[in-house]
Amino acid sequence: MSDLVKEVAAGAKPFKKAYVAIMLWFMGRAVQAAAKADAEVKKEFEALPDDFTFALGVLPNGPWMVVGKEKGKVKYFGWNPDAKKLDLRLGVKGVEAAILMFTFQESTAMATSRNRLIISGELHYALAFMRIMGIVETYLLPKIIVQLAVKRYPTQWSFGRKYGGRLRVYTRALLGF
Amino acid sequence: MIFSDSFEFTCPIKTNSGKKALEQLPAELDALNAKRPLVITGKELVSKCIIKKFTKAFGDSGMTIGIFDGVTKNPDWKLIDELKKVYSEKKYDSIIALGSGVIVDVAKVLNIAVSLNVDSKKIAKDPAVKGQLKPFVIVPTATGSGLETSRFAHFQGTVFSSFYLMPALIIIDPRMTRAESKEDMAAAALASFARSVEAYIAKSKNPLTDAYAYAAIGFVAGNLETAVKKPCNKKSSLAIANAVAMSGTTMSNTAAGLISNLGQALVEMFRLPYGIGMGICLPHILAYYQKKGGYNIASLLLPLAGPDQFAATPDSSKADKALAIVGGMIKELYETVGNKIPKTLKAAGVPQYMLADILEKLSLADDAAFDKEGYLTVIESAWEGKPVASAGKE
Repeated sequence: MSDLVKEVAAGAKPFKKAYVAIMLWFMGRAVQAAAKADAEVKKEFEALPDDFTFALGVLPNGPWMVVGKEKGKVKYFGWNPDAKKLDLRLGVKGVEAAILMFTFQESTAMATSRNRLIISGELHYALAFMRIMGIVETYLLPKIIVQLAVKRYPTQWSFGRKYGGRLRVYTRALLGF
Repeated sequence: MIFSDSFEFTCPIKTNSGKKALEQLPAELDALNAKRPLVITGKELVSKCIIKKFTKAFGDSGMTIGIFDGVTKNPDWKLIDELKKVYSEKKYDSIIALGSGVIVDVAKVLNIAVSLNVDSKKIAKDPAVKGQLKPFVIVPTATGSGLETSRFAHFQGTVFSSFYLMPALIIIDPRMTRAESKEDMAAAALASFARSVEAYIAKSKNPLTDAYAYAAIGFVAGNLETAVKKPCNKKSSLAIANAVAMSGTTMSNTAAGLISNLGQALVEMFRLPYGIGMGICLPHILAYYQKKGGYNIASLLLPLAGPDQFAATPDSSKADKALAIVGGMIKELYETVGNKIPKTLKAAGVPQYMLADILEKLSLADDAAFDKEGYLTVIESAWEGKPVASAGKE
């Protein structure tokens, strides 16, 4: 009778998880940097309430990135979504779906339309978050990749904004200020 | 479209279809409040590779799943009792059917047993499903017939019918739906096509069954050729699997007609797969319906040929054109598959002296349109492979 049903424990996907964790860590710091370096990101955050906090991560066991406003400044709060009261939580349904997003095989908008994200919170906050992520990805990635990652590549950006902004965002994200 | 002011439609199924859909299963189970699923499958019926891919999809979910891979072509009641015991002992909380056909039937009957806490003797005696069942998920493979997502289950000669038997979730992943042979793909496509056509021209149809049937017919019409020529093609096999799943919903909400009843009779009497039997009979049944009148055969042209051709065809020719397309599709399919699937009931091994028995079985089905002479003509023409009008004539 005991042989009738085999018990199988779910395996682990440590490499994929590590890749997503690094991407989220860098993305979190880049959002913090872009809020200082880019006027549009700054404006999006200004429209959000004080102490607004959001998290993006992988269900069920992470990794996560937590970003929010503290005393009017945008900060990357690390990887623990339970340490803060969240206003918006975007959970990707599994590490494989996160890999599709973070290897830019699927844009965030496409992942949402394919039902790969569970959004807990107000929809207009989620849309603001998507816009912020789009801008940050445009700074971080070369055009050939970013075209896959965002809904629409911003062709109207000036040379100064594109390359000067990229330099500022990268410097701030790497140095963490 | 004629609006029917009074109708009912039930579809509790969430569909998750496409690339990496399988990897979303743990999150979807969590949404159903299911933490410990019992997977029902069969090594004889589902390839090892599919079972391996399925278990791999749970990676990083932290879940522990139970897998029973011993479903055979002819499971018995003893198996249900044994699985029920294991289910309660090991505290599983949901059921996943990995596969199609008999695997799903076993999972559905097991769900009745564990949810309502009844043993096989009671179920066989009283097949009514009295109450909500445990979360039930289907991950279909390529050998479906549409019954999987329907409100029906067939087990050891007992037919179960309840909307509670429909799954809460179906995961259609292209890695699971690629067929091993052209015949399997042809049978699945024909089964879903025939069921959807029946729902689309049914007198009891409503706007929602129409929507499902329209999509399913369009999926089959647009993908049949590629799916059968290349059963491993991800895109077309996914489209066919979606059509199969949708046809289950339509048949659950439409009164069974000649197509379904004849398909069922051929399965029960001659073990002819649903798709093969219904595929042989479909052109003859449609020709009979056209001759008899009262069925909107002309409307079939819209999902089969698209809005442009539908609009460009005069009303008087629409039905003929729709029938010609159906005939052409099936003929082309037979040419692609070759002699591996029968084209007539005679070639399928149905003895001529048993045609009357098939008719008798049809008379026992709940079919308000039963017409002894007309149905016999259909069966005879499907046996001989001659058009309805000339059946029996030389």
